[in-house]
Amino acid sequence: MSKVKLTINGTQVSGREGMTILEVAQENGIDIPTLCYSPDLRPIGACRICVVEVEGSRLLVGSCHTPIAPEMVIQTHSPRVLEARKVILELLFGSHCGSCMLCNKANVCNLRSIAADLEVGLPRFQLRKRFHPIEDVSPYVQRDLTKCVLCWRCIRACQEIAKQSVYATGYRGFDSKVIVDCDVPLDKEVCRDCGICITYCPTGALTRPTKLGKEKPGKSLVITK
Amino acid sequence: MPERRVILKNCGVIDPRRMETFLNNDGFKALTKALNEMTPDSVIETIKASGLRGRGGAGFPCGLKWELARKAPGDEKFVICNADEGEVGTFKDRYILENDPFSLIEGIAIAAYALGARQAYIYLRAEYHYLLELLTKAIAQTKEGGFLEHVDIQIREGAGAYVCGEESALMDSIEGKRGEVRYRPPFPPTQGLWEKPTVINNVETMMNIPQIVLNGADWFNQIGTDRSKGTKVFSVAGDVDRPGVYELEMGSQLKELVVDLAQAKKVKMLQIGGATGKIIPHTMMDTPLSFETILGAGAITVLDESRNIVDAVYHTMEFLAEESCGKCAPCREGTEALFGIMEKFNRGEGTERDIRHLEDLANAMMPSSLCGLGQAAPIPVVDSLQHFRSEYEDRIKQKQGGAAK
Repeated sequence: MSKVKLTINGTQVSGREGMTILEVAQENGIDIPTLCYSPDLRPIGACRICVVEVEGSRLLVGSCHTPIAPEMVIQTHSPRVLEARKVILELLFGSHCGSCMLCNKANVCNLRSIAADLEVGLPRFQLRKRFHPIEDVSPYVQRDLTKCVLCWRCIRACQEIAKQSVYATGYRGFDSKVIVDCDVPLDKEVCRDCGICITYCPTGALTRPTKLGKEKPGKSLVITK
Repeated sequence: MPERRVILKNCGVIDPRRMETFLNNDGFKALTKALNEMTPDSVIETIKASGLRGRGGAGFPCGLKWELARKAPGDEKFVICNADEGEVGTFKDRYILENDPFSLIEGIAIAAYALGARQAYIYLRAEYHYLLELLTKAIAQTKEGGFLEHVDIQIREGAGAYVCGEESALMDSIEGKRGEVRYRPPFPPTQGLWEKPTVINNVETMMNIPQIVLNGADWFNQIGTDRSKGTKVFSVAGDVDRPGVYELEMGSQLKELVVDLAQAKKVKMLQIGGATGKIIPHTMMDTPLSFETILGAGAITVLDESRNIVDAVYHTMEFLAEESCGKCAPCREGTEALFGIMEKFNRGEGTERDIRHLEDLANAMMPSSLCGLGQAAPIPVVDSLQHFRSEYEDRIKQKQGGAAK
């Protein structure tokens, strides 16, 4: 593997060929917020929160999927980047249900932690809320899609790690939704005891069903970033 | 400059159902020349020297794209012809497909020869289903004539999504998946359809290929402007007396097309390049049409003085919010937010703050979205705010709503 020299935020760093901008930044202690990215899953570049500024590029590029090139000059926290990230987060919050006070995952929520880092408060934009009834048919996964931020991590975790493809993308535009079969509540024989989607869900959309008299499940969860 | 028919020269002259009529009009001469007298590399050299740029809107040099795909490692390569003409107000490709399918097949066959591709696809828009039979017959006739021995051309139909005109979503759709855009790099010439090197060209680009091969790069180079060679086919619609398809040399002025040919009167604004195209006021009608200035895919919608800009933008945003694929956050949520704000203006509840929010959204969406749809969706808003801000402000002052839907 040959070394590639590049500049991030004015500092000379080096990475190996084939690495993404995000990986090099993380190796060098530069924190780029991510939502749809996970090191265990294939990147899809959907949330656009990890965008960075690359000199010579008209657009901001997604750092989780863009490979490094020699002599790249990258800004990870320029005003233009921060503003774009803020607007995207505010948009996500604009359509989010906002019931954090009652959410089991509130303290381990990726969305909230990114928002806190970027000092995003009440969103500027008012959007329709996505309200979906809670799906608690399955004894293994409870889905509250009102809290879903459409990062597509559950779909990829189910496909790539559990090799099951229980979930898929349905509808389009703002009405996009993670669906099972032809949009029926999750109640599949193949989906048992795995819970990998719950592990990868950045918000409280996917949880283990609570049973009365039992311990709340929030603690046992491991959230990977 | 008057109309100049280079690409459309066969339209209305030949019978699209009979190959003989095409053969009588120099049909397949370019393909025969390429196959017998030229190497694949010299075909690519000719296209490169001609300076042909993609007609789908982005204007990427066609020869360069082909060269990248030819040099990309791998035995299996694909050629795709993008006939998913989804842009609002475009119908030029339909006109070409209806009247001259053979030239298109010839172009695709030359592209496949130059690339070494054995499989080519025509991605046909769902709404053009009625053309399926015509195209299938044309391909069958060409095959019978012995012109398609080096490549198999198949037609794939879309399912009615606007975003599938975007090349990466188009490839997803051909692969049988939900039409979603992919991030780039890797670009299609290196990793496209089924992760194999793929060249995707618009119908109109493909139509240029036989002409260039037959007449040479120098001939093509003489037409057009410095950086935009050749002619361009435009579809003009809206408030004009003679809407239709016109072919003009690159660099012709907008008013020649809209006023002289399409006979528009009392023009207020024009939208160039469909729903996500630039909006320009009537005062800029002497702008030349070329890649350097404005062009897009060649759709021109004319609105006259009876129209209100805020209404027009409102309807455009409604369309874009519906057609966003929903994969990336800025486009999925952003188009909805833009539409929400335009809806407020339509109800007569718009405020100064909303204008500021429109601008904030546009500044964030344009650089950060994953594909051209999200990147270009705020353009109508930005342009209308730049040229017709007073109409927004009037609405705020008078608390006046828009025309009923």
